[in-house]
Amino acid sequence: MTSHEYELRNRTQVSDTDIEAALNPGEAQGFYRDTRECAALALQAGAGQVLLAPPAPRPKKG
Amino acid sequence: MEQPGTTPPLTGAVRELATQVVSTLTSGGHSPVSAYPPVTTGDDELGLAAVRVLGADVLLPAVLHRTLPAPADLAVCEKAVLAYPPGPDASPTSLWSHRAMVRTLAALGAPAAGATLAGPEPDAAWLEDLPWQALTHQLALLAALAVPPTGTTSGDAAAPGALAPSAVADVAQRRTVDIARGFVRAVRRRGWLQAAAAGRWLAHLDGVPRTLGLDAGLEFVGLMGGDDPRVALHLHAARPVRAGAPAGPR
Repeated sequence: MTSHEYELRNRTQVSDTDIEAALNPGEAQGFYRDTRECAALALQAGAGQVLLAPPAPRPKKG
Repeated sequence: MEQPGTTPPLTGAVRELATQVVSTLTSGGHSPVSAYPPVTTGDDELGLAAVRVLGADVLLPAVLHRTLPAPADLAVCEKAVLAYPPGPDASPTSLWSHRAMVRTLAALGAPAAGATLAGPEPDAAWLEDLPWQALTHQLALLAALAVPPTGTTSGDAAAPGALAPSAVADVAQRRTVDIARGFVRAVRRRGWLQAAAAGRWLAHLDGVPRTLGLDAGLEFVGLMGGDDPRVALHLHAARPVRAGAPAGPR
């Protein structure tokens, strides 16, 4: 087995733990205050299409 | 966020598979008497694992368009179900994902799935007491259950918005407003995958607050997160349901 084949084999081996982690991941951390997002929401709100409020500022720590 | 080049192989394979499913969903020309082209590309270990993770959504084109599934997809899904059964310490999400695959396979005529389906449904009572944030997270992971009832013929079309029966669907129906809250939270957090999945559930549920603006919200999620094929998949699952929804609050 060449080193390339060995690496490829290792990269394609999947354990039950990998499957479980992929099926039941924790919740991703949220991201707030994105200017592009605010602008798009405002545009849609202006057209009367959406009633979602723009993102709230990220809470300040400390 | 994942950086290009650092995506784990399984994640990449799941995304590739989701891309194929979305491509099939958008390709048009579906016929109830002819199978669509297969979305799976092989039954190697990584391919089977990707099928197990994407779950019943691998067969979504057949479910939504009421067409025959590609025989190769049925065979690969059956192999994935057998290769990766839930272990003794499996999470409820894993149990329900497996159940959804088996149920869909059985409904689409896969012979080996019937015996597995004979067992009782996993428990869903744990969802009842979850805070709305956690409920939305868990239901988003189980969005493959948010599908119309599966049938193999065009003559048994379900009512618009009908949801395939399951204990998870029953909880979702009882907690519609909580899922609507979770949808807004996901959008505000820029969690496009969770937002798309929650929106997929809401598309099927009664009693969605009109003030949510679900249709425009789903459009916005597609605009912002549609590059992720898993987001696009959920939105494609929700779209025909919303298109068939009656006017007024749903």
